Amino acid sequence: MSQTDTAETAETAETAETAATTVNRTDGQDVSTTAGETAEETRPEWTSYDAGGETKLAVDDLDVHYGDDHALKGVSMDIPEESVTALIGPSGCGKSTFLRCLNRMNDRIRAASVDGSVALDGEGIYQDGVDLVELRKRVGMVFQSPNPFPKSIRENVSYGPRKHGDIETGLLARLTGRAEPDREEALVERSLERAALWEEVSDRLDDNALGLSGGQQQRLCIARCLAVDPEVILMDEPASALDPIATSKIEDLIEDLARDYTVVVVTHSMQQAARVSDQTAVFLTGGELVEYDDTEKIFENPESQRVEDYVSGKFG
Amino acid sequence: MSRATRTALVRDDRTAYEAAAGSAVGLSGIAFAVGLAALLGLVAIDAPVAGVGLSVALGAVLLALGAAVVGFGVASRTGYVDTGPQPSAGIVAAAAFTGIWVAVGAAASGAAGLGTGGRLGGGAVLGGVAFATTALPREDIGSTVPAGAVAGLCGLALISGVVGPGWEHALVGYNATLFGDTVVPVVVLFASLVTGWSAAKASGGFGARGRNVGAYVLIYLVVGSILAVLVGLVAFVAAKGLPGLLNGVSVGGAGLVSWPFLTNGAGLLADVAGVFPALVGTVWLVVGAVCFAVPTGVGAAVFLSEYAEQGRFTGAVEVATNGLWSTPSIVFGLFGAAFLIPRFGNQKSLIAGMLTLGFMLLPLVLITSREAILAVPDEYRDASAALGVSKWQTIRSVVLPAAIPGVTTGVILGVGRIAGETAPILLTMGGGVLPAKAAAPDVLGSFRLSASPPFVSNPALLEATSALPYQLYALITAGLSGNIRNPQEFAWGLALTLLLVVLAFYAVGIATRYYFRQKLHQ
Ligand SMILES: Nc1ncnc2c1ncn2[C@@H]1O[C@H](COP(=O)(O)OP(=O)(O)OP(=O)(O)O)[C@@H](O)[C@H]1O
Ligand SMILES: [Mg+2]
Repeated sequence: MSQTDTAETAETAETAETAATTVNRTDGQDVSTTAGETAEETRPEWTSYDAGGETKLAVDDLDVHYGDDHALKGVSMDIPEESVTALIGPSGCGKSTFLRCLNRMNDRIRAASVDGSVALDGEGIYQDGVDLVELRKRVGMVFQSPNPFPKSIRENVSYGPRKHGDIETGLLARLTGRAEPDREEALVERSLERAALWEEVSDRLDDNALGLSGGQQQRLCIARCLAVDPEVILMDEPASALDPIATSKIEDLIEDLARDYTVVVVTHSMQQAARVSDQTAVFLTGGELVEYDDTEKIFENPESQRVEDYVSGKFG
Repeated sequence: MSRATRTALVRDDRTAYEAAAGSAVGLSGIAFAVGLAALLGLVAIDAPVAGVGLSVALGAVLLALGAAVVGFGVASRTGYVDTGPQPSAGIVAAAAFTGIWVAVGAAASGAAGLGTGGRLGGGAVLGGVAFATTALPREDIGSTVPAGAVAGLCGLALISGVVGPGWEHALVGYNATLFGDTVVPVVVLFASLVTGWSAAKASGGFGARGRNVGAYVLIYLVVGSILAVLVGLVAFVAAKGLPGLLNGVSVGGAGLVSWPFLTNGAGLLADVAGVFPALVGTVWLVVGAVCFAVPTGVGAAVFLSEYAEQGRFTGAVEVATNGLWSTPSIVFGLFGAAFLIPRFGNQKSLIAGMLTLGFMLLPLVLITSREAILAVPDEYRDASAALGVSKWQTIRSVVLPAAIPGVTTGVILGVGRIAGETAPILLTMGGGVLPAKAAAPDVLGSFRLSASPPFVSNPALLEATSALPYQLYALITAGLSGNIRNPQEFAWGLALTLLLVVLAFYAVGIATRYYFRQKLHQ
């Protein structure tokens, strides 16, 4: 573990402690909603859903504060292995915040303090001594806004494996004959193909990735994440800038990925959630997880009136 | 749409009015260029033009331009042509013309023999009139009549010879005299700037479009004059220095160029005295300083912006660095003389000079690298972290490459400063006034291995060495004399060589920056 990551861990531990004193502040307080939701008590049994199968990520009583802003309130849910979990909810309800908790990207936001626990395969990722680099290798993430590096398309895709030492391409490797251009090529092609981008860029792999369109960049970021071969893939609106054809390819990819990986996907499209996910978690204004259940149940017969209103498009 | 008349979306053919105003802009530009040339001494102000002196001819042009500009305004105001003026020329133009006319009024009352009170009064009256004329009437009158009057007045002054060749004016209270051959060009530059702006506004039909065109003309003329001064400076040094620099250049068989000024030392035996030792000294000096300052500066910048907690400590370091960058170079020289020289054999040496200049360069490299690193978007760092890449690798493979163009800019600026420094070298590196060729440092060839620590030594680094700016300085202090044929020519050749060396370092830096920018964006 590198020097800074230790520092990062220590820092979170410290801020988490200071935040602990304020954690119950908003509990029991009425959350006035602005998005036209009807007021309603949330019930714990609505979210205590057990998908069966192995639990990949166990989230327990997670609170996130941005300074004094309570962005996530006591979220608990178990995310099962080898399945697709959709997170839906109106803008600003904390979906991205929740997603960032799962690979501790929130540690990188100064104002954020995280409280509660998340376990990956039974191991707490917020306990002391967690190697963040290793964690993020296992829990990959595709960001809400595409953020390719100012490098060539090829280098973008092979960036992770190269830095992890899975593929040797350096000068030394080339001199000693250990370079593996073929393996790199194969990996780049496979990742781009899965992200439905290969056909568009196969003849311009050495062009700068910043020259791609927004939608292409989004798929490039997906490919870059896949190339690292994580166990869990977190996707924040992976199809927000894509046309229907690319969207359906990405949806196919997500379903395909769910055979070997655990996928958590944030989406604003109910149809998309309904199409691709096995279970759906609904967050509503104020940062609460209101209901978490089988996708079918959420869309056809939710317990909560607010969730019913939301999925039927009455607000949001 | 606004209350003003709709302007056509597609402007069809240019009207005669626009064409006339356009020619007035062009004529102002020509007058401006001639004024600039006169200021730089390229043409004399009493040179004959069409039977009269240049200054009288320029006066006539300015008078004509002033009249034309007023004409444009009146034509527009009377509705003779279709324009889109705004209700007033605006407060900025009003303030500018008030200032101009206050000065004119004060000068005129002074010339008429009035005392301080009279001057103030005259200035206030004319200033008030100018303010009223600019701010109160519609824009087409407000931005042409005061401008035309200024230009007309300047033109009259030149035509009548009130200001002209041979004119001089002793400034009371200053130990200085104004001469006609600087004042005339300045008057021409100023008046043509004013008419150029005003005519440009007219050619754009006033209003938003007119202001746009006016601003363009102002900016182009000012930028043009700055460029002209720069080019003039370089041309001056080049003209003076080329005879010395090219002295004895010949192309032998097989295309081999022999260039004695650059390859010879100064010695009794040399046909053409040359600057080789100082040239090599300067190159090594800059290379050494860069090798010292860039790794340390970039390293410190990485630490400060990526690792250190942003707060009081980094703030203090920043203040200290800025302070160091503005520290006078002679102070660095003293530091080198007092601290470095005793540690490197107690004599002036190349390495002491390298380190002193390195210390001078360090703050700028640090400041610019830090800015460049902070300007790298956080998304890159987040993206890299989310792929499970460690912080150091992220810095190395994403942050630093994205920061290289900025870092290079800093190094370019810094090298420009240190390559021409004289004071620190004077104190730390010394060297002869007219070193012989053998005195050139042979840094690469002087590395010696030895059996005892530090195992490697390099005598060339420990010797006093000459550098171009120092040699020039030493030559001048020695009264431009010495064992060479034509010291004057030699010194100018030396100056030109120094200029070219600095430009060559720039070129290398700019090429590097271009290369890395290309890599980032294409
Ligand atoms: N870096 C941050 N600093 C401070 N507050 C933040 C930060 N990021 C998010 N927030 C706040 O946390 C709340 C939840 O934000 P989040 O980004 O998780 O919403 P979201 O559900 O992903 O919304 P969207 O669908 O629009 O992406 C918002 O009120 C937001 O203002
Ligand atoms: Mg979001």
